[in-house]
Amino acid sequence: MQSFYEQMISVKEYDKDRFDRSKRIEWIDIGRIQSGRCLVVGAGALGNEVVKCLVLSGFRDITVADMDTVVISNLNRCVFFRDTDVNSGTKSEILAKRASELDPDVKITAKQMRIQEMEDWDFDIVLGCMDNISARLHVNAHSCYHCIPYVDGGTDGMLGKIQVVLPGGPCLQCAMNRSHYNVSETRFNCTGKSSFYAPKMAAEITTTSAVAAMQAREAVKIISGRKDMCIENIAYYDGISGETFIMNVKKDDSCENHMNEV
Amino acid sequence: MGIRIVVRNATLGATLKMDLAPNETIYDIIESAAEFWKKDPRAYVLRKGKSLLSAKDTVMEANIMNEDVLELLPDPEGG
Repeated sequence: MQSFYEQMISVKEYDKDRFDRSKRIEWIDIGRIQSGRCLVVGAGALGNEVVKCLVLSGFRDITVADMDTVVISNLNRCVFFRDTDVNSGTKSEILAKRASELDPDVKITAKQMRIQEMEDWDFDIVLGCMDNISARLHVNAHSCYHCIPYVDGGTDGMLGKIQVVLPGGPCLQCAMNRSHYNVSETRFNCTGKSSFYAPKMAAEITTTSAVAAMQAREAVKIISGRKDMCIENIAYYDGISGETFIMNVKKDDSCENHMNEV
Repeated sequence: MGIRIVVRNATLGATLKMDLAPNETIYDIIESAAEFWKKDPRAYVLRKGKSLLSAKDTVMEANIMNEDVLELLPDPEGG
């Protein structure tokens, strides 16, 4: 069989292939990417950027889950939302529709639901683009249980974090402590009505974009069969200094997500 | 014998010295440092070089040594 570089082509034929330039990165497996099933949880700022990168990377089967609607203050960092979208449909629907325009071969399914209502976890990879710890813990637990690689992203102003959770490895919960649970409880208790309260945090597009791009890149590595190249386990990004550093996480054998592992 | 470490605040760049007993936990360090800097109620983690320290571990289990510099980082929650 001829290798990619030995194939006979006619002049400028390479410009007719949407993924020609991606294929020039040897380890990227476009065939596996095109058949990979992705779940993106959250259709806000990170969700917009992650879906953009996934579609342009060649993913064709993407499910986006979010129940929120667009508000004006989303528009400083959500590439697929417009003024006319405000209060007219859910973020997941709008994101699915607009991102589909990037590639006619992509199928993006919008799920207008809280992630806690999701029953079908038949995916090859999960990307977390949420804005709270309790939803992250839920997705983390389901990903671990179903042995699905999970790439979580988070931002706080100019700071960002990407955590890669591979089956059998340390998970989000292994890296958390009481301060996370205190925050999580505050979100549910401070309204006094047992409803969820998310404080408004600083957020802008450059950090969002950097974090989302790294999440999507990890997805490309995982689906291309190159888990050996993945971040171990957390990349922490400081948008002020421009520095990114890696932190290893110790697997917590008492973590409930690892109790049934063989 | 106590262990004296330095905790660096990743957000402010400030540092503080802290005396620790070997049986104190990493979470004790996180909580004390966050209180000292009057940090907002949010999630924090502590790292030593390339390792995120397990909050349950004691200072001894985490192999914290005299003059170690640990860094307190906010854990970004937004999306």
